[in-house]
Amino acid sequence: MNFPNELKYSKDHEWVKTEGETAIIGISDFAQDALGDIVFVNLPEAGDEVVAGEVFGDLESVKAVSDMLSPVSGTVAAVNEELADTPEILNSDPYGAWIIKVEGITDTEDLMDADAYAEFCKED
Amino acid sequence: MINSLYVYRTDCKDPFINLAREEVLLKSGPSDGVLLYLWQNEKTVVIGRNQNVFKECRVSLLEEEGGRLARRLSGGGAVFHDSGNLNFTFILPREDFDIKRQADVICRACRSFGIDAVVSGRNDLEIGGRKFSGNAFYKSGDRAYHHGTLLVSLDMNLIGRYLKPPEAKLKAKGVDSVHSRIINLFDVAPEITKAALCRELVCSAESVYGFSAKEFIFTSDMENEVSGKTNYYASDEWRFGSDTTATFCCEETFGWGTVTFEFQIDYGIISRVRVFTDAMDWEIPARIESALSGKRFTGTDIKESLISAEIDAGIKNDLCKMLEKQEI
Repeated sequence: MNFPNELKYSKDHEWVKTEGETAIIGISDFAQDALGDIVFVNLPEAGDEVVAGEVFGDLESVKAVSDMLSPVSGTVAAVNEELADTPEILNSDPYGAWIIKVEGITDTEDLMDADAYAEFCKED
Repeated sequence: MINSLYVYRTDCKDPFINLAREEVLLKSGPSDGVLLYLWQNEKTVVIGRNQNVFKECRVSLLEEEGGRLARRLSGGGAVFHDSGNLNFTFILPREDFDIKRQADVICRACRSFGIDAVVSGRNDLEIGGRKFSGNAFYKSGDRAYHHGTLLVSLDMNLIGRYLKPPEAKLKAKGVDSVHSRIINLFDVAPEITKAALCRELVCSAESVYGFSAKEFIFTSDMENEVSGKTNYYASDEWRFGSDTTATFCCEETFGWGTVTFEFQIDYGIISRVRVFTDAMDWEIPARIESALSGKRFTGTDIKESLISAEIDAGIKNDLCKMLEKQEI
């Protein structure tokens, strides 16, 4: 299982990468492995507000729908449109396949670094 | 941690109220254990969270015959419910979610009627390779549910009437249904009744989880939440969806040329239609597009609007027949 050191992780298994004022959000290797083959992704639109700890989209793998909880509060600046046609890249490249970019961040959940997250996954 | 077992049964057969109750039980129900919710819908097609309605269901026919179309929160394919079907939902903390354990509750209850039920590769339940229970899952934050159908004495003829066969699948995005051979429990255990099955499911849950079942009672706050959610489940916004799951394409070749329709449907209304044709009459697409835009996406409305369009009567007739075949 791969958890890059430059990323932060939420308890809901999203990763967050901060670039200047922007938070880039995706799902971790642990999450994609637990979900299995992802067949559909529901995403918000640019301009939508997301709230830390609340649902911002969902993923469908074989017959299971899992909500994704936002690790930050802010405004969606961009969504990865590629996921509409090729949701499977979340499985093959979880850290390359970002999901949304959020700007104007007003709140962030407590996030874990890679080591703490690896421990957290062992318990989960 | 599972510290208690609750049961909630309802006689209500309205799919929108029942789905609203399921979501409220998940989000605001007891957090200290597992809850088994037992419910039935009257004549309803329930599609998966990310399915294209028009790909899966003959909506106009279903509604003309008094049936209802509903969309659930979980994934997977379209199913038909009537009063010969019993639904179960296990609602529990995500950390205690265990498909095998939940399925074991169902299989044990079946065994008390002498039925040899097993879990299939897609987490459905089967008897001798024939499915009698389609299962699906939803997870949100630290809560999750596992629900499924139990075909006791479903009217099998109605399945093919309201659900579209796989070969009719349109070119459109969305999660496709997987078709399987199915069987009613009544066919292998003629003495079975829904009431007896409910009782056995509760007994079986008590032995699997090791607690006596307590009846769950909705608080008035929860009832208020149910009312709000019911309207949402019944809304065209939720049922038909928008963007990716609400497109519809079809194509056919006639003596006068090939024509392709691309509909974009928002909340049941045709928000945009594009018509492509190699026919000589270059005004046809624009005239069809203006006749159909903004109309309700039903077979009857489309036909009426096409008939009023200013195009050649023969072509109009061909187009009406072509769209009729799509069984919108």
